[in-house]
Formats: sequence, C-alpha cells, structure tokens
Amino acid sequence: MSALKEVCARLISLFRREDLDREFDEEAQSHLDLAMEDYVRGGTPAAEARRLARIKFGAVEASKDAHRDSRGLPWLEGLVYDLRFVFRGLRRDWAFTLTAIVTLALALGLNVTVFAVMNTMLFRGYPLVQRNDRLVYIQEQYPSGTCCITYLDFEDWRAEAHSFEGMAFVGEKNISLSYGEGRSVDASAFTVSTNVFGLLGVKPTLGRDFVPADEASGAAPVVILNHRFWENYFGGRGNVIGASVLVNKAPAIVIGVMPEGFDFPTQFDVWMPYMRGPDVNRRAPEMFQAVGRLRDGASLQEARVELETINHRLETAYPVSNRGVVPKVDTYSQANVGPDAPVIYGSLWMAAWFVLLIACANLANLTVARTVGRWNDFSLKIALGAGRGRMMRQIFVESLALTSVAGVLGWWITKWGVRTWAVETASIYQILDYSLDFGALAYLVAVSLAAAILFSLAPMGRLLQIGVNDALKSDAPGVTQGVRGKHLAAVLVAGQMALAIVLLSGAGVLVRSLMNVVSANTGVGDPEHVLVGLLSLPSEKFPSTAATLGYVDRFEAQVRAIPGIADESVASTLPVNFGNQRVFEIEGRPNPPEGGEAVQFLRVGPDYFRVVESPAISGRDFNDGDRTATLPVAIVNQSFAASYWPREQPLGKRLRYIDRKKPAEWLTVVGVVPNIMQGDATRRQFKPLVYLPFRQAPTVLGVNFLLRTGVPPGQVAQAVRAEIQKLDPDVILKKFTTLKDSFGFDPDRMDRAHSEMGKYAAVAPIFAVMALLLAAVGLYAVIAHSVSQRTKEIGVRMAIGAAAEDIRRMVLRDGMWPVAIGMVLGLTASLAVNRILQSQLVGVSPYDPATMAGAPVVLILAALLACQIPARRAMRVDPVVTLRHD
Amino acid sequence: MDTPHSRMVFMWYCNMSMPDSKLDLLQGTLDLMVLQTLDAMGPLHGYGVARRIEQLSGNEVLLNQGTIYASLVRLQQRGWIVAEWGVSNNNRKAKFYSITKAGKRQMKKDKSQWGRLAAVMGRVLAAAAEGGKG
Repeated sequence: MSALKEVCARLISLFRREDLDREFDEEAQSHLDLAMEDYVRGGTPAAEARRLARIKFGAVEASKDAHRDSRGLPWLEGLVYDLRFVFRGLRRDWAFTLTAIVTLALALGLNVTVFAVMNTMLFRGYPLVQRNDRLVYIQEQYPSGTCCITYLDFEDWRAEAHSFEGMAFVGEKNISLSYGEGRSVDASAFTVSTNVFGLLGVKPTLGRDFVPADEASGAAPVVILNHRFWENYFGGRGNVIGASVLVNKAPAIVIGVMPEGFDFPTQFDVWMPYMRGPDVNRRAPEMFQAVGRLRDGASLQEARVELETINHRLETAYPVSNRGVVPKVDTYSQANVGPDAPVIYGSLWMAAWFVLLIACANLANLTVARTVGRWNDFSLKIALGAGRGRMMRQIFVESLALTSVAGVLGWWITKWGVRTWAVETASIYQILDYSLDFGALAYLVAVSLAAAILFSLAPMGRLLQIGVNDALKSDAPGVTQGVRGKHLAAVLVAGQMALAIVLLSGAGVLVRSLMNVVSANTGVGDPEHVLVGLLSLPSEKFPSTAATLGYVDRFEAQVRAIPGIADESVASTLPVNFGNQRVFEIEGRPNPPEGGEAVQFLRVGPDYFRVVESPAISGRDFNDGDRTATLPVAIVNQSFAASYWPREQPLGKRLRYIDRKKPAEWLTVVGVVPNIMQGDATRRQFKPLVYLPFRQAPTVLGVNFLLRTGVPPGQVAQAVRAEIQKLDPDVILKKFTTLKDSFGFDPDRMDRAHSEMGKYAAVAPIFAVMALLLAAVGLYAVIAHSVSQRTKEIGVRMAIGAAAEDIRRMVLRDGMWPVAIGMVLGLTASLAVNRILQSQLVGVSPYDPATMAGAPVVLILAALLACQIPARRAMRVDPVVTLRHD
Repeated sequence: MDTPHSRMVFMWYCNMSMPDSKLDLLQGTLDLMVLQTLDAMGPLHGYGVARRIEQLSGNEVLLNQGTIYASLVRLQQRGWIVAEWGVSNNNRKAKFYSITKAGKRQMKKDKSQWGRLAAVMGRVLAAAAEGGKG
C-alpha cells in the first residue's frame, strides 16, 4: 500500500514543484532561525551564530536537490531534460537527423515486411480458419507422381487413423451454373466431404452448413457459394438461400454463403458435396486432396507414420491399385508454398537483417562522427565530475528518439510493402492471410529497440575511452578522432562491405538462375512476333467437339484475313507449358503389365510448326486434310525419336496412347520436328513429345491460337480482339499477349520446388541494392568526416610538398583498405551462405564464378565513387588557409 | 560477458534507477532513526530531529543537518509520518512532524530486522575473529 501511495505522491510532486520548493525554503529558513537561536542562547554573538547555523545545515541548494530527488521521480525529470536536449541537438543537425530517420525507416520497414510475409507464408495458413497450425494436407504419391488421392484409401484413413481429430477431402470440378433466366456461367467448384467446414471451424455467413445427409447417395444436390461469387453473380442478394440453380443442367439448391474472405483450398466459386459415382468400389486416383486436423498431442510425424502403416496394409490387400502408393502428409507451407519455403523466406529474413545491420553501422559511424565535436564538451564534463552514465543516457535517448520516429515511418512502409507484395504475388492457388497483427507490431518495437541499442553501442564505447584529462590535454577545438576512433569506423565499414557482398552474390546467383529459366532456349524462333491467346468457349454454347471445331474454322478464316498476320495456327498447349501426359505404346513393343512410359501429347493445327518457326525436318506437317475421318497421324519431336527409335527411321512407325487402361487407335508417324520446350518447369531439357492433329482430337480442352505477324504485334492486336468479339460475344479472350511475354516467369507453371523462385529472385536484388547503397553512403560519411578532421594535417602535407595526387591516393588508401578486408570476408561468407540457395538455382552453381567476380567489382566501383568525392575535397585543401586558421 | 560494453550498459542501468546520492547506503538507517526519534519524542520540527540524532550518534550519521529533509519528505510520502505547520516553544514558526500508526508498524518491523541483522553480524564477526586466532 505504502509503495503505491509513494508513487502517487512522487508523481503529484512533479506538478507541484514550485510550491514544494517554496515550502522547503521556508522550512530551511525556520531551521536556520531555530539553530541560530540555540547558538545565541549558548552565548555566541549573533553574526557568528548565523554563520555556525549555516555551516551546520550544509549547502542549501544541495539539500534542496536531495529533497527534490527523494520526493519526485528524478529519472523521469532527467529523461525529460535529456529529451529536450536531444531534440534541440537533432533539430540543429537536421541533415544527420533526416539521413538517420530515412535509413532506419527503410531498413526497419523492410525487415518487418519480410517478417510479416514470412510469418504468413510459413505459419499463418488460411484466413478465418481455426488453429491452422493443426491442419495437415494429404495427398498420395503414385509411382507416376504425386497428385491425387484414391477415395477408398481416404475412407480407410478416416476410419483407422487415431492421430486425427477429423479428416475431410476436397476435389476440383468444372461446372456450368445458371440461375433463373440469367445467363449460364462457367464456374469452378470443389466437391467436398460434408464435414469440411466443421473441420476448418468456419460457419456459413448465410444459410446452413452441409450435413452428412447431403452426401448420401440419392440426396438432393445442394451448393454453398463463395462470398465473392455470390456478390458477382447473385448481386449479394440474401434471398438466394433456398433458390434453385442448375449445375450442369441438373437442379441444385443453394443452402449457404461462406463468409467474406474465405477461400478453401484455392480461389473457387462453389462448394458442393462429393457424391460417389457408379464406380463406387473402384480404387483409382482422383483429383483430390485431403485435409486433416491433428488430435491434441499428436505430432505431424506420428500422423505420417500412421498413414504409412495403413497404406502398407492397403498395398498387400489391393496390390493392383495400391502398389507403391505412399501418403504424403504436409503442413500448410509444405503443401501450398513449397518444400523449400522455410529456406527461401528464412534467407530473405536474414537478408533484411543484414540490411538493418548495415544501416545500424552507418548510424553508429554518423553518431560517432557527429559527437566528435562534443568530445571536448564530454571530457570536460567528466573532468568536472559528471557521471558518464548520464551522458550515455543522453546518447541512448537520442538513438531511441530516432528509432521511434523511424519505427512509426517503418510501420507505414511495412503496411505498404505487405500490401504491394500481396497484390504482386496474388495467385488463385495460394490463399494467404496477410493482415498485420499485434505480433508484427510487437516485432517492430523489439527490432527498433534492438537497432537503437546496436547503433548507440559504438558512440557509448567511445565515451568510455575518454580519459578525464583528454580535453584538457588537447589544446584546440577539432581534436582529431584518434587511432581508436578510426579503427572503430574501419571495422564497421569492413563489416558493412562484407554483408553487402554476401547479399550481392546471393542476389546475383538467384537472378542468374531466374534468367536461365525465363530466357532458356525454347526452340521457338522469333517469339516476339507471335501473338497468342486462349479462347474460352462456354460449355453450354459449345457442348460438342463439332461445335467447337466449327467455331475454330470460322475463327481461323476471319483472323487470317486480318492484314499483317502472316500465319495462324491453334494448339491445345502453348510452347513451354505443360502438355497432357499419356501412357503410350509403340507397335511391336508391348508395355509391361505394370504400365508403360508416359509422354506429353499435344494437339496442334496445320501450320503450327511454321508459326513457331520450327519447320518439319523430315516427313510432312499436318494439313487441313487431317480430320476425324482420315487416317490417324502423329508427328514426334527429335527427342522422342532419339529416345525410342535411336537407330531407326521413325516415319511410318505406329504408336498409340492408353486411355483409362484401354488403348486408343494406332497413330502413324508422318513427321519428325525439332525440339520445342514443353513441360519442364525449369526449362533445362527438351522432353519427348507427340503431336496430334488438332482436328482429329476426340476432345478439345482449350483453344490456344498463335498468330505470326509480319508487323509489330501491337499493331494488329486490336483488330484480332475486335474480330473475336464480332464472331461470338460469348467467347472470352484470355491471356492475350505475345509468345515471348508468355515465356516470362509464371509460378503456376513451375514445379513445387521452384514456384517461389520468381518472388525470391525479384526481391533479393532489392536487398542487395539497398545494402550496396547504404554501405556506400556509410563509407562516404566516414571518409568525408575523416577528411574534414584532417584538413590541417593535409594542409601541412601540401605545404611541405605533397602533390594533390598524393593526397588523393592517401584518402583512397584510407578508404579502400577496410573495403578490401570486408570484401575478402564477404566472399568467404558467401561461399557458405550461397550453399543454402542451392535448391533454387537452375543451371548456375552457388559459387558461380561470374557472380563471385562481379559482386566485388560492383562493390569496388561503389566504394571508389564514395571515396572519390571526399578525396576531391581533400585535394582542394589550400595549405595557406588551413595553416593560417589557428 | 564482462566487456566494456556490458559493464557500461550495466552502469547505465544503475544510474537510471537510483538517484546519485552519498546517503544511499545509510538511507534506510537514517529513516529508521527519524521514525524512532519521532516515536520517542513526540511531534518535532526538522531541526529538533536533526539535533536529537546528532546528540545520540555524534556526527556519524548526519554530515549536514540539511540532509534530514530528504528523509523527512520521503517518510511523509510513504505515509509513515505527517507534517503540520505550528509554533515552536520560543514562538518560531516551524513544521512539526509526528509519526503515524503505519509509521509505528513500519518502525517495529525495521527495528526487529535491524536487531536480527546486528545479531547475525555480531555472530559472524565473532566467529571470524576466533577462526583467525585458531
């Protein structure tokens, strides 16, 4: 109780300072009067009594100070005083203040942005979903690759696995949906087990959730809408609940709308219960994944082991369908961001810390340089008995004031940075929660505090080195920094340079890796002059292959008539993209019972190889005669020919693909074409390909067109657009660009291991450039300060015969040796650091000689530039002026 | 850890949390003496308290009489003593301090603590002296 009372009393006393001082004065006066009277009574003369009373009392001012300290909050009063002092100083030195705040704000903002992004990418999971960290995502790995799940396997897991609280599955389905008299839309749907929203802990915002009866066979079909789709297509009307819609022309009831911002597992329009089809007992992989919630106390590892055990049993029980099928249990980031996500985002975080460290080193050097003018003042104070603690506090308060302002700005930068990142990297396949929470704010505060401590350490250290009589010894203003100060600055510069080199070389190899992907040889000639686009044909209007092909015929006729278009073709898949993989068989070489090899089968129109400037080297191209009724033909690429007919003539050979375990018709090879990049995420390898005539196709998945233009493509793009609009307004043109641009980095086209590579390689150079700039500015500040301190010395040197060139060389030498040391350290460190980037490097070694040589060159150029400016100033020193100065 | 930096930071902390005063060590002692004096003598002005402590301790505790006021204001803020302006025997205006109930409780507590500490110190020092002899 008394402690609380005391704090209150102390606080109150701060506001009654003058009253209390006056009261103390009165009390002291009464004390002196009483004492004097005592002496007088003892026989001392009045004047002497007054003197004795005063001596006995001691210094009134000192007692008053003690009185103030013991009644008030001396540290708070001291702090207020320090703050006032610091602000006055910072306002006077506005150039320093501005530099410091901008540098720090950028470094802090960058750091917190990366932290928030990393947190989102690795740990956050889906928005609105409860306890994301307990969710795992399960697929099965088949001998042919990871993709799917066998529904009956899922049922077995759900029945037998104990490490899960629950398990649900989701699969994709493209549907067409229409409502009332409204037009039909193609929507994307997930077919889900009805427990999925309960498992995630998200309730519909309108209507009801699925119930188990909804997935029973024969149940009335129901759908739940995505909030976005509900707003766009149903205009956000509440009466949609209970409304009947047509899903693929079959009636279904809308029972609910999910909350805004909820997407699971990717950005889709509709959820509907998964209904088992007639082949209910067939164990075959379907395009599903499962999501499980781990039971309290169960670990990811236990869940993995448990599912593996179940799958082992299934392998013995169902050898035909389940041999070699293993479950893959992943966390959110492993499943949705990629297996190397922790390395990618962890290393970006590390890079952000490097930048922050460089910024702190800069500020440390600037602060030391700035306070050098105050050393005299400080050491005089110390000589007079002032506590060093008080002065250190001033330095720290200054750092704190700077970082506080920078922290606030940094928070704005973070908000902007995270929003920019979210927009730039948005993908319908990655649902991420980027909201900035209290954790990010707390992190910002902690990092700001750490930065304040970091960059006030150096000036504080210098303060400790000041001897009591330093100021008294050195005669004049402008004491030189001394050897120790120079050492400190050099160490900081070397450290900055080392960090900058590490970031430069890391960014260097990542950029080279990205360049290796996007500018890899695709086998396509002159892709700048090819316009490509995807024609989206609504399935209700074009229900059959014939209808689609009819449209394609009309389209081709119209487009070919546009002036400026030299050649035209269509294809199921554009170059570089992934074609449809099919198991195939060559005539005379029957496949083994466990299945044959798979290659990509692409469908292309006549003239395709002319458009991509890859003319058939032997045999013939497809022509308009290759239609459904004629002899089924195929063209293979050189890679296919080399793999399967290395010593034979491929022309005239026959092969066929196996569709759902049943072989299709024999296809006669009529041509062999040069390789075109297709279906290799990192574009290192030309895969074996089989081309089929577009018009012989039994199904058409999507119609991509390619237009070779004789004029710059921009000039005809509008005409093509208009033609498509005129031909059929319901056909939607998507991804309309040049073929060259379509070769750019597309995370959705990468394999899981490399899907984050584009972001990585795009962000890393930002860090490297910032590091380089900050390090150069830091070096400049150190050298400029050292030159200004040594003006007199330089003057003397010139007076006794040094040439301007000698002075320049001296300044450069002083500046460059810490750079050289930092460079050696940095290169050594990069050899270790770059190894962790290995997984993201395509066609480039982590120790890439070009990068390892280039990074130091860039750094040296920047450093030379930073030294050059102060060096020139040093050369212009006029010995007469400096010597006369004193 | 004992680098100049860590020591420096530590020093800085010490300075932050404590007023820089020569009386620090004796602060608790002086406070207890003031409480004891007021309890024994009844209401007394600052000069009276200072004289009394001087008489009892010689000049061991108070370097200057003025330092008594820091202690008095501190005790007042803790609610252990109260102050009131009044008139002294020889008609001088003075501020009179008297001990409160809380102050008496605190005094009792501090006294017994001091007693225990003194006893322990006595035993330890005696034992050390014997050990030195033997």
